[in-house]
Amino acid sequence: MSNPSDALGRLMAHALARAVALLILWLVLAGSDLADLPAGIVAVLAATVTSLRLLPVGPSRLSPVLLGPLALRFLYQSVAAGIDVAWRALDPRLPLRPGFVVYSVCFPLGSARNAFAALTSLLPGTVPAGDEGSRLVYHCLDVDQPVVSQLAAEEAALRHAIRHD
Amino acid sequence: MSVAVDIITIVAITAGAFFFLAGTVGLLRFPDTLTRLHALTKADNLGLGLVVLGLVPQAGSLRGGLKLLCVWALALLAGAMVSQLIAREASGQRGDPAMRHDGPPP
Repeated sequence: MSNPSDALGRLMAHALARAVALLILWLVLAGSDLADLPAGIVAVLAATVTSLRLLPVGPSRLSPVLLGPLALRFLYQSVAAGIDVAWRALDPRLPLRPGFVVYSVCFPLGSARNAFAALTSLLPGTVPAGDEGSRLVYHCLDVDQPVVSQLAAEEAALRHAIRHD
Repeated sequence: MSVAVDIITIVAITAGAFFFLAGTVGLLRFPDTLTRLHALTKADNLGLGLVVLGLVPQAGSLRGGLKLLCVWALALLAGAMVSQLIAREASGQRGDPAMRHDGPPP
């Protein structure tokens, strides 16, 4: 890994993989008309450079094998979240007990923590509303819910899906 | 077969519209910016997901179906990011320490 040409090769491989994924996204969204392709190629190049800047190639990444169960888990959570908030909105008694819950997160500042915050924004009754050092502040619809233990379970699931090279 | 697909479409889109309605009711009834944010992001994510689910079998082509799924994924991603930014801004203005709960002791 200390060899600079190895590092460059690894960077190029990541850049190519991201460019291919972005090109497929472009083709799906904009169609495969040849006249549109030059604009697509410019967009794909710009998006690849931006993605490498914002999300540099790091030593850890999500394991593709474990990504499926993780996605299913959060799909289920976002369905539960929608039903939860719909029930609270339509209940004549308006059952809310809003407040903040502070959660100590083990992920360091960076993409893993951002991913955790984004995924937990889909959970029933919680929205990340800031951070205090190593702690994330969540706004909750009902602070009587076991928010902290739920967040700990999600953190364990995400940690399980991150592979360190 | 196509009747079964049409029934799936009607059920999914009706359910999706119900969640959009519930999210809008929450937007009107919930007391402040942060609680309204929950209503909009969570109920509308699910509503849009169900509408997309209902429309995918009617898309007519693989690309049309994938495009609908991309619309949903991009809306989900944008919602997850923007809701955090709005929550950060709103709690900065209303960060009442008395409202803070540190959760149960471990």
